[in-house]
Parts: sequence; structure tokens; C-alpha cells
Amino acid sequence: MRASLRLPGHPVLRSIMLFLREKRWLLFAIVVGVVFYLAPPPEGLSRDAQLVLVISVVAVILFMTEPIPLPAVAFMIIIAQVLLLGRDVAEVGASLMNGSVFFIIGSLMLAVAVVKQKLDKRLAYLIVRLSGTKTRNIAIGISVVSGLLASVIGEHTVAAMMLPVALTLITLTSDDPKKVRNLAAVLLFSIAYGSSIAGIGTPSGGARNAIMIGYWKEFFYDPTDPNTAKYLVDYVKWVMVSYPVFLAQLPFVIIILFSTFNPEYKHLTRAVVKLRAQIELEGPMKPSHFMAIGLFFLTLVGWVFFSNTIGLGTIALIGGVAFMVFGLVRWEDLNSGVNWGVVWLYAAAISLGIQMKDSGAAMWLADSFLTILPDFMETGTPLLASVSILTTFVTNTMSNGAAVAVLGPITLNLAHSTGSSELVVGFVTAISSAFAYLTVIGTPACTIVYASGYLKTTDFLKVGYKMVIMSTIILLVFAALYWPMIGL
Amino acid sequence: MKSEKQFQILVCIDGSEASYSGLRYAVRMGDDHSADLTLLFVRPVDEGLSSGGLQLEIARENMLNWGHELPGMRALKRGRDMLVEMGFMEDSWKEQVVHTDVRGDQLGDNSIVYTNEEGAKITLEMMVSPSVERGILDEIEIGEYDITIIGMCAEDETGSGKIRPATTKAVVSQSPTPVLVARDLEQDHGHFMCVDFTDKAIEAAVKDAKIAARCHCPIYLYSVAETDDELPIALDVVARARAAIEAAGMQVVSDTVEVGNPVEKILEQGRKYSLIVMADTSVKGFRRFFQTSVAYEVLERAENSVMIVR
Repeated sequence: MRASLRLPGHPVLRSIMLFLREKRWLLFAIVVGVVFYLAPPPEGLSRDAQLVLVISVVAVILFMTEPIPLPAVAFMIIIAQVLLLGRDVAEVGASLMNGSVFFIIGSLMLAVAVVKQKLDKRLAYLIVRLSGTKTRNIAIGISVVSGLLASVIGEHTVAAMMLPVALTLITLTSDDPKKVRNLAAVLLFSIAYGSSIAGIGTPSGGARNAIMIGYWKEFFYDPTDPNTAKYLVDYVKWVMVSYPVFLAQLPFVIIILFSTFNPEYKHLTRAVVKLRAQIELEGPMKPSHFMAIGLFFLTLVGWVFFSNTIGLGTIALIGGVAFMVFGLVRWEDLNSGVNWGVVWLYAAAISLGIQMKDSGAAMWLADSFLTILPDFMETGTPLLASVSILTTFVTNTMSNGAAVAVLGPITLNLAHSTGSSELVVGFVTAISSAFAYLTVIGTPACTIVYASGYLKTTDFLKVGYKMVIMSTIILLVFAALYWPMIGL
Repeated sequence: MKSEKQFQILVCIDGSEASYSGLRYAVRMGDDHSADLTLLFVRPVDEGLSSGGLQLEIARENMLNWGHELPGMRALKRGRDMLVEMGFMEDSWKEQVVHTDVRGDQLGDNSIVYTNEEGAKITLEMMVSPSVERGILDEIEIGEYDITIIGMCAEDETGSGKIRPATTKAVVSQSPTPVLVARDLEQDHGHFMCVDFTDKAIEAAVKDAKIAARCHCPIYLYSVAETDDELPIALDVVARARAAIEAAGMQVVSDTVEVGNPVEKILEQGRKYSLIVMADTSVKGFRRFFQTSVAYEVLERAENSVMIVR
């Protein structure tokens, strides 16, 4: 009987069709790439720059649609630089390993090391002690603690640690997800958006920040010209520019969340009491906890005082290694907790970004973008608004680090062409890349809280557009009023 | 080992109400434990980029350390609890936990197999796969199921783990076995079995009749002639289908033939039944991917459940 039900299609044909269906975006990317490759270069674009654009367009399509594993895209970029652009293998290899990539490796190792210390219950204890039992105060506590931590250790680390805290409060309130829909949305988005807005606060908040710092240095710094020293942006300078932007957004996150989702419970007394009882079972903090906090604090001190001399990346690597040396984390944990393919992806994207700048492709794209813009938008706040909107659009379709790696060379050349400050436009690009509130994949924190199973994809749209408007307005206000005051 | 005589039902669970209504229907089909049930939740493998390079497993492990279950396991256990409530399963059944390592994913595939003394089997399976669609199709291929039940969520119901409508359609188009697409599946309104003018439609009608017999569902035969000229052919095919079903030992409550647009007529008449049953006869191989058949249009537009039989 079973055999009689198995009718249609030869298995080989079915497999081929399934493969073609799954890889349709890969085929599309290849077709687009071949068409661009065969087309004559547009006016003002050299053949070399055209080839860089071919690689970039194909890579962006693959970043956005993910028909093949993303590390494979990274290696395709590397291969294409050798085969299509004719670059020397050693030159391509050198462009892959720079300070930004060291920072990404080191900060991911630190992220895993910190999460493995299981300090989340201590954080939960801190939050419920400070905030009491009112839902609003707990949400404020979660977003403030998430934000303050994410500004230095990266939003993915904080989201991974805070997720069980919020889930515990939700499940202790009710086992039925339908009865706590809005409560879950408020608490989970407090983590996600609290962390996302904070990731721009310091260079160590996210890979995108380190990528932009790397681009400024790579594109504009000339050791023989003292006037270009301003392009060496250190930890303190970044904090002075960006941290106030994060702090200004924090109160609005809570206002937006509570105006969008009205939690079913105004007090979480029962859940908080149970959570406190659970946490107290843990006993006092262990020596390893103090050691971990101490090591992280020393890493932070290193970033603040020595990043200008030995680089953010080196310090991040020292921090990661120190956790291993003191036996706080095993290499096996780091090896399995870090997605090394992502490191390769960022490395390849940065390398391609450098090729875009060197070949003139980034300048051509920037000039083309300028021809689309009306005259009044070519300088000042309107230009910054258009850069911010462009970045927000791109970052909602791919990871924010990849968005900065792809867009950075273009927006920085845009600044150069219009006579605007490359630093201001660079900060606007890096900060706007955090405005990926609309989609699940936009920011690491959003992806992690979505994995809880309590949120719908439509929830991100419902609240995300309000967050985008709020963040964009605050960014432009700071760019227009505050940054000139600090000499940016 | 699976018994040869046991009917195999795969129910794709995603936590949506549609998937649980499909499960209730599966219980009815497997009355008296005449079928083995597999409840499947597919978790797409984490690519890592969207979580910023930190493996999502780190967050998942943290959830487990706090005593929280993964969303997929929650959905599967709700399905198991429903089976117990409906009396299809008892707490006394033997439980066996099976873990399979999957390269590139620390949590791997996990399943709980429940068996009773008569050999009836219920499996809760949480599978990791490059995509939900690929996972379901692989399971259909490996498990040699007789029927697959998959919920059709509304677009605004899609959430973490929920099977997207596009995935459901892809599974239907590529599955080698009958697929029942459940949308708030009501049980007592019978199978509205649509036959076109091909021999394969009659074969499919007999197959569906056997499935309907499992859940004691009444069968209503239906065909549409696009023009008056085709009416005799439609009448003939319905009569042949009826004869074939009755020859196989089952009863048909009614047979009806109308003239008009097949899709519109089927949607109009079919909405009051539990299931609209369509034979996927026009499409094979390449054609299935490039040709829109009546069956797929009905699947797309129907508001109630649809079963595509091959």
C-alpha cells in the first residue's frame, strides 16, 4: 500500500529540482554577476573598479538571501580577489588580518568567556533588588542593565545572559504564553532594544564600531601628515561622541514599548518572589566570579588607556587569552561558542571594502548616489539624514557589521566628495547600523530574544518603526547640536 | 522497528493552532492505535551571522541551565499532553530518549519515543536542518510515511519556529506522499473529494477513501465540467470513481457534477466540509514547478483544510 502511494517524479529529478529551488538566489546572483561582468564599464568607472563592483553586488545578494553558508561567501570574495582582480595572494591574505578582525576575534572570545561564568543569576538578583515588583520598573531595570553592559561587552553577550532572566519572570507569571503575550514582548524587547541602542556606546560594543575605526585609519590616516591624526579614533573619543546618543535613547525605549504593548500584569510580585528564592539557592559569589569580573575590568581599562598605542584588537585578544590562562574558560568552549565563519565573513567584507576604496569603485558609487540626491540634501543635516536612512535600510536586511563593512567605503567617500566631515558621516553610518529594529535578523540581540519562541516576526515591525524614527531623530539632533560642541 | 502493517502519520508541529488541529485529525486517523504517529518540529540550523558571531547555542544552553525548555520541545510536549488528554496515549507507555549528533550543531537531533505493549509508537522529534522545508522533506523520505499533516499559519501568525506558508507550499509541491494542509481542521464534516478527468484522479480518490475510512469520515464526490460539452465526461468520471471506491469496500454519501470554473466551484462548494481533497494529477517533475494546477490554486485560496493526494 505504501509503495502505491509513492507516485510522482523520479527521485533524482526531485533532488535536482529541490536543489535548484534552494539555490535560486545563488543562480540569480551568478546571472547578475555575469551580466555586470560582460557589460561595458559605465562612464567614469575603470575596469578594475567595475570588477570590484561585480564581486560586491554578488556578495551583497548572497549576504541578504543566504542561499549558501555565509562563510562560503567569505571565501568566494577572497578567491574572486585573486582570480578576477588579479591581486597577489599575499596581498589579499594581509588585507584579511587587521586590527578590526583581531578585535572581532577577541571580543567574541570574551563574549563566550563572560557568558560561561554564569553571572546571569547575579544580574537578575541586582535587577529585582533595584526595581522591586512593578512591571514598568522591572522593564526599566532590564533595559538599563542590558544597555550599560552591552555598551562595553557587546549586545549578543548581554542578550544571551539576560534572556533566561526575562523568560523566568514570564513563565513564573503564567505557563500559558497567550496570557503573557504583551508582558513577554515588553520584557524581551527591553533586552533586545536596550542592548541594541547601547552597542554604539563604546568601540567594544560591536564589530561595526571596530570596522569603522579601521576604515578611518586605513582610508585617511597618513603617518607622515600630523593633520590626519584625527582619524585615529580611540576608545575615549568614541565614548564622548556616542555614549550620550545611547543614554538619550534609553528612556524612549521604555515609553515606546509600553505604548505599543500593554502588559497584562502591572505587578510581578509572585514571579519576583520565586525568582529571588531561586537565585538565593545559588549562594554567595565564587572566587571565579570575582576573577572574571576583575579580568574583564582590566580589559576595559586596557581599551580606555592603551587602545591608541597597541590597538583595540590586541587588547581584546589579551583579554580572551587571559580568561584561558586563568582557567576560567576552556578553548573547547571558545571554539564551539564562536562562529568562526562569521569572523572570516567580516574579514572578507573588510578586505573587499578596502578594494572598493583603492579601485575607485566606492568613489564612483558615492558620486552616483550624490546625483540622485536633490541639491539641498548634499550637505549638512539633510546629507546625514540620507546616509542614516540608507544605512538603516541596508542594516535591516543583513547583519549590522556586514552593513558597515559594505557601506562604510561608500559613505566615507560621499563625505569626501561633498566636503563633509568623514568622522561625522562615519559615526552616523556606524550608529545608524544599530537601527535594525524591524527584522529578526537585524541585530544579534533581536535574533537571540526571538529564539525564545515568544515573539512573532510582526512584533518587530509593530514596534520597530517607532524605534527607527526615535533613534534617527535623536542621532540627527546630536549630530547637529552636540557633536560640534565637542569639536567633531 | 516499524511494523509493516502500521500506517505511518507524520504531523509537523510548530506551536500553531492549525498544527494542533492537524494532530487531532491524526489521532482520529490512527484510531485504536492502528497508526504510528510522529510529531516533528524542525529547527533551522543557526548560521551565526545574525547572532553577531556568537553561536545561538550559547543562549540556548543558558535557557536550559535555567530550566527552560527550547521552544520546539515546548510545542512537542503540548502535543504529547493533548494525546494523553484525548486518551490516545497513557502515562504507562515506555519512554526512550534518542539523541543523534548532527555535524555543525551542538544540540543535534533529539527525540522521545513512546511505545506501549502492543507495539504502538508515538515519537516526538526535534530535528535540526538547514531549512524547515528540507527537514520535513528529509523526514518524509526517511520515515516512509503514508501521510504528512502540516499546519497552514496565517501570515500574521508566523513566529519563532512557526512554519511559514511558503514552506508549507514547498513541502506540498515536493512531497512524494499525500499531504494534508490543516487550517483549523474541523473533524465531522467529511471529505469533499474532487476528481478531474484523468485515471490518476480515480486512483487518488480510492486512496483518499482509504484514508477517510480510517477516521470514519463520510465521502462526497465532486467534479466540475468547464463547459456543457464536458458534462458527460464529468458524469462518467464521477461514476467511475464511485464504482472504484465502492469496489474497494467503502461508501460514498453523494456525488455531484457542476458546470463552471473548477477552482471557483470547488472553493464555493468545498468550504462546508472538513477537507477538500484534490488529486495532484497534472503535475510531474519539471511541470510541477512551472505549472499552476487547479489543486495548487485551491490549496492557495481555500479557507479550510486541503489534502493533496498523489
